Amino acid sequence: MSSAPAATEPAADPAGTTLAVPPAARAERLRRRLREGGLAYLFLLPSLVVFAVFFYYPLYRLVWFATHQQSRFRNRPATYVGTEQLTETLSGNDFFDGLVHSGLFMVYTVPLGIVLGVLLAVAAHRRLRGIKIFQTIFSSTVASSVAVASVVFTTLVNPEMGYFRDVSWLSLRSGDSALFAVSLSSVWQNLGLTFIVVLAALQTVPDELTEAATIDGYGPVRRFFRITVPLISPALLFLAIVLVVHALQAYAQIEILTGGGPGGATETLLFKIADPRGVRSLGERASLSLGLFVLTAVVAGFQYSMLSKRVHYGD
Amino acid sequence: MSGVTFDGVTKRFGDVVAVDQLSLQIHDGEFMVLLGPSGCGKSTALRMVAGLEEVTSGILTIGERVVNHVPPRERDIAMVFQSYALYPHMTVAKNIESPLVANKAARVDAARRAERVREAAAILGLTEYLDRKPGELSGGQRQRVALARAIVRHPEVFLMDEPLSNLDAKLRTQTRLELVELHRRLGTTIIYVTHDQVEAMTMADRIAVLADGRLQQVGEPQAVYERPANLFVASFIGSPPMNTIAGTLSLGPGAATVATAVGAVEVADPGTGVDGAPVVVGVRPEHLDLAPVASAGADGAAGLEGTVENVELLGHERHVVCRVGESLMTLRHPNDHPAGAVGERVRLVADPKGVHLFDARTTERLN
Repeated sequence: MSSAPAATEPAADPAGTTLAVPPAARAERLRRRLREGGLAYLFLLPSLVVFAVFFYYPLYRLVWFATHQQSRFRNRPATYVGTEQLTETLSGNDFFDGLVHSGLFMVYTVPLGIVLGVLLAVAAHRRLRGIKIFQTIFSSTVASSVAVASVVFTTLVNPEMGYFRDVSWLSLRSGDSALFAVSLSSVWQNLGLTFIVVLAALQTVPDELTEAATIDGYGPVRRFFRITVPLISPALLFLAIVLVVHALQAYAQIEILTGGGPGGATETLLFKIADPRGVRSLGERASLSLGLFVLTAVVAGFQYSMLSKRVHYGD
Repeated sequence: MSGVTFDGVTKRFGDVVAVDQLSLQIHDGEFMVLLGPSGCGKSTALRMVAGLEEVTSGILTIGERVVNHVPPRERDIAMVFQSYALYPHMTVAKNIESPLVANKAARVDAARRAERVREAAAILGLTEYLDRKPGELSGGQRQRVALARAIVRHPEVFLMDEPLSNLDAKLRTQTRLELVELHRRLGTTIIYVTHDQVEAMTMADRIAVLADGRLQQVGEPQAVYERPANLFVASFIGSPPMNTIAGTLSLGPGAATVATAVGAVEVADPGTGVDGAPVVVGVRPEHLDLAPVASAGADGAAGLEGTVENVELLGHERHVVCRVGESLMTLRHPNDHPAGAVGERVRLVADPKGVHLFDARTTERLN
């Protein structure tokens, strides 16, 4: 990557010339700077408003809820408890279980999702008659809603009449397999997106590079890992981040497929925060939210620093 | 080092015939240029040698070995692409080293590899750039890296697909010389594809001219220029191109002449042309001269009637463009040669020894 020199930065005035500027001109310059600065903030305003309304204020309320204990009686004010509620919640089993379930959900969905997406995209990335039909089929899950896809999946694994009713590791009724089955449904739902992104990335790799690698003597597999993968790595990083976010934010499929069960086996952190059965107090849920917030930030930071070292962005 | 032989090689893409019955022998150590307009099949021919395209029919040989079904990596060839095809995520050193690492069967140990990379980099003046990525190099330097990657494996044959067309004019001239020098130094067979006749003329030991998938003529550059085998080669090679005009051949007692709609052209050697045959006359710009129009009728001399339409000054020479009947003809003269003024009526006289005669029907050369 070549960085362009900062050409717009005005050169610092040598002291002499600054002193020589008459006061009127200096005032004019100040006015101009204020006008430009004001204009800049005006342009920033829409996104600042959006951030304030949808991010900063909710974050502030979250902290407020986490540091206050709600009274059981509606009309009594909440009492300030400091970090007591927060530390209690975040050191408890509930948070730990959610953490484990969210972590497993991530581990099940992200690598498998990327690998399957890449495999499908590689298979569909060729000049064959009718390949567009397959490309459309493979990307179709993008167009189906989580609810619809989850209902389809429920039907497939239905213990009485589902096509996969005898596949024990797909059972939603067993605590051992439910989380994996839900993850698999998510992998399938994300596959369209992964497929499209990887296919688009593959199509940007110039044919001549692949041909040069062939002539150099790389076999198909080594050519793929040594040449193609580095060239599509920005897309893979993007997918890794998006899929992790999807995994941490998964809710609808869990609610529809298992409702968090059996026995809380599919209750991820987000599911506990949403708490559709209403078993946790607002303060606890706010504390869990802060925990998830920190977790997400850490994972994203880790991903970015690890992967960006190995990612190659054009020239 | 090896030669390459095409024996009746044909390549079809569906209904399209890209290369049609190509028979061409490229000698060991020769610099052969495949020249032709885009879509003439020259790149396809090269890609068949590389193994990137299957041969539909015919026999393709590298050295003694028929390679029709040999995969690219076993052909011992190196290829330089128009876009250079450098791996953007690898340093220059890794790029150059790549052919030595990639082929597991022909893998060289690390010390020898480093030595050969250094050697190739030194030949192409890349030593100080070995740690950079291709993105940090100029077009000319990338081109050198591509060449270094080709020479590092000491291949039997170099294949080059328009390697200079992404360079600017000045760099192209310079690199042309360097390629010739590299060929002299390595002595390896080079098959070089281009649509640029200047590259072909200046670098090739021999040129093979292709059009519509068919071989038109093979020969040394000067021979192809001086005696083009047909009308296509005649008009494709040479800049400005050869002037052509249709007429009828008449073999008089004194001299052969071709009568055209706008005047007569004298021919020193009519070759196999027969009296009264429809022919096309070709005259290179440097074999045409201007004469005063008044003298035409007076002494009955040959000449084509025309009007000077434009005079292009190129510094060392001058191109005079004249309208002759329906078409334009170009004359090339040294700067000190008298030129007509724009709009002036002139007579264009061809040097009879420089007149090429082509059969109007088959377009084949007659003399």
